[in-house]
Amino acid sequence: MIESFRAIFAPPRDLILLAATLWIGLALAEKRSERHGVSKEALNNLVFYSLFGYLLGGRILFALANFSAFADSPLNIFSLNVDLFDPIGGVITAILVGVVYIKKTSQVSQTREVYWKTLDALTPIFAALAIGLHLSHLAAGRAFGSPTALPWGIDLWNATRHPTQIYELIVALVIFGVIWFRNSELSLGALFLNFVALTAGARLFLEAFRGDSTLIFGGFRLAQIAAWTVLMIVFIAGEQIQKD
Amino acid sequence: MNEAARADSNDMHTTQHRLAYAIVLTLGLVWIYLSADKNAASLTGTTAAPQVGFLAPDFSLPTASGETIRLSDLRGQAVLVNLWATWCPPCRAEMPAIEKVYNEYKEEGLVVLAVNMTYQDTASAVMPFAQEHGLTFPILLDESAIVGRAYQLRSLPSSFFITREGIVNEVVIGGPMSEALLRTRVEEILK
Repeated sequence: MIESFRAIFAPPRDLILLAATLWIGLALAEKRSERHGVSKEALNNLVFYSLFGYLLGGRILFALANFSAFADSPLNIFSLNVDLFDPIGGVITAILVGVVYIKKTSQVSQTREVYWKTLDALTPIFAALAIGLHLSHLAAGRAFGSPTALPWGIDLWNATRHPTQIYELIVALVIFGVIWFRNSELSLGALFLNFVALTAGARLFLEAFRGDSTLIFGGFRLAQIAAWTVLMIVFIAGEQIQKD
Repeated sequence: MNEAARADSNDMHTTQHRLAYAIVLTLGLVWIYLSADKNAASLTGTTAAPQVGFLAPDFSLPTASGETIRLSDLRGQAVLVNLWATWCPPCRAEMPAIEKVYNEYKEEGLVVLAVNMTYQDTASAVMPFAQEHGLTFPILLDESAIVGRAYQLRSLPSSFFITREGIVNEVVIGGPMSEALLRTRVEEILK
């Protein structure tokens, strides 16, 4: 079954999974956006502009970082190759576009509150995208696990490995369920912070089973340290919100 | 509930939250320590697989001109292994860009191995295609799916960028690859 799934959604078709979960996440977020004080129209506009920023920023920053490669063929900046893309640059641009959009469309005195409301309203999209990301990893064989003798290991890249993509997919589904069903009970910003804390906690735990971790001194896994730091920041932010 | 009692209750909640945070963060640190890969045992560079970070699967195939090329003999040079077929439009479309980039970088140590998936192609169509496009890099003929299987071919074209140490640095599935994409990937493996 996994093999069939991998054959159907082999790269670059795995991007369909990301697009589909983005669409589902947006549809679900729209249903709840009014509850967070964000109109459907504002949510759609924000997602549209941010997505546009992601695509444009990711390509432009990639071209700038690899300027010499484009010097002889500048029209390649319009190439349909999805690999000509800087995902981190794309995310940073999308965040900047989102921040500017919110600032432009909200009153100055309420901007901080609007940021938290918007993040809460966007949380179903983030949670759905996390599911899409792990499905895409499963299809492409990325984010693979370390070798194991456990009976549920999967054959991947010439070894029997922890099915880390499936572990992460299950956890992402659980996190989606948690944030979807706790939606109405939480204070401002708490839904988003819950999602980030659960996701960081999951990464901290599951990274231990990955076979592609970036190791730093002493064999420590960089992603675990990053996830622990995010968790600490979320706890501090949560405390701050409670005080406010 | 009076003000003082409410304040006490809030303080208690805050203390409980802080205690829970401290426990979670401490457990996190313990887990990071326990799951550290001290011997770097999870590193993939010694296992052969067609995936980034792994040793590129070795193969030996005849070229269209009759000689035999073994991938592992090219250790020390950066290699682009391109899996293609004459009937595949994006494969055909990216060949001029590969030829151009090959000519730009071959002096720096770039080798291009264009592996024709002959088991699903017509062998007699390969050389006319190469001549028509003026391809100067070796065209290998995979008549028994040796490379197709070893590189777990799922889509054509598929390109594997291999470092001088023989490690897969990047995989590009689908095409056609643009010149800019080829240059960025080739510059990475030539480092």
